[in-house]
Amino acid sequence: MAKARAISGVAPDSSFREAAADAVEVRTEELFSFAEGVLDTGDVERLHDMRVASRRLRAVLEVFAPCFPKKELRRTLREVKALADDLGERRDPDVAIAALERVGAGLAAPDRPGLDGLIAELSERQQSGNTLLARRLERVEEIDLRARLLALAAATRTA
Amino acid sequence: MKARRVKGLDPDGSLAENALRIAHTRLEELHSFASAARDPENVTALHDMRIAAKRVRYLLELVEPCLGQPAKRGAKRARALQTLLGEIHDCDEMLPLVRAHVKRLRAEDATAIRAGAGERATDLDPDAARSAPNRTRYRGLEALHAYLRARRYVLYARFVREWADLERDGFREALEADLARAAGATMKAGSEEGVRAS
Repeated sequence: MAKARAISGVAPDSSFREAAADAVEVRTEELFSFAEGVLDTGDVERLHDMRVASRRLRAVLEVFAPCFPKKELRRTLREVKALADDLGERRDPDVAIAALERVGAGLAAPDRPGLDGLIAELSERQQSGNTLLARRLERVEEIDLRARLLALAAATRTA
Repeated sequence: MKARRVKGLDPDGSLAENALRIAHTRLEELHSFASAARDPENVTALHDMRIAAKRVRYLLELVEPCLGQPAKRGAKRARALQTLLGEIHDCDEMLPLVRAHVKRLRAEDATAIRAGAGERATDLDPDAARSAPNRTRYRGLEALHAYLRARRYVLYARFVREWADLERDGFREALEADLARAAGATMKAGSEEGVRAS
């Protein structure tokens, strides 16, 4: 898992508002830096990193909530939550498949067909999670979520 | 689980002061689930406690540049707790999945055996069991189910021990006191800087 990027603007004497703006900017860039290749089921770590980044961004929006314009925060947070949920829908089968493969590796050959069947079922869920996520990423682009988040940070700075 | 509202936050106040208020509420929230989580079957309380630990962790990671080592140490302990509760949650998610899968296989097998006997069958030959398409799949799944139940038990026992350690060490009180000291030092340094600048 990628380590969280440092929020360099957050200094001991920062105001809550300045820290909010810095944190949103850093976490937004972090989230979108993992977007490329996230639908590749052969590279599950990228998706994991993007999911963790979405959670960190969501945490920033929730922690600093009083600093943001209410209506814009509500709209933006809803989109971030939806993206985090869809990343989770893809990630959950990834985790389950990896766990089953670890257990399966320790079993004798006659015990494995059952696990293989369950893995096949989870792979179908992984694919439908991917379809859901692909649609969500299209929406993220369509509404330009990145620009919306950066605008939220800018509005906080100038309030 | 919806986060508790933090009262008295001031966007124009210092990050340190606001962080202390949030940390107090989030730690209170985390501890509020401890009693219900003493019941190993209370999956909801354990799940909510995991989310609460996650909120503590992310808050402390955020304010680490401002509150230093106490925040870093607190985040590390909250992360360890979140990870452990996450492993328990994974077992709680996987167990019903395995049961549902086995149930589907049984239903498929029953349908296939019955279909093999024909519409007008009056009874079934015991040999018909050999035609169940999924007959080789059950043993691995039963072993998996047993493993997951055992792992869940072991992880829960570890959680009980580790939570008792946190309580014995006064994790919450010590963290709040350390954060308050760090915030005090931060604010003092900030005001001295302000005096020098003016």
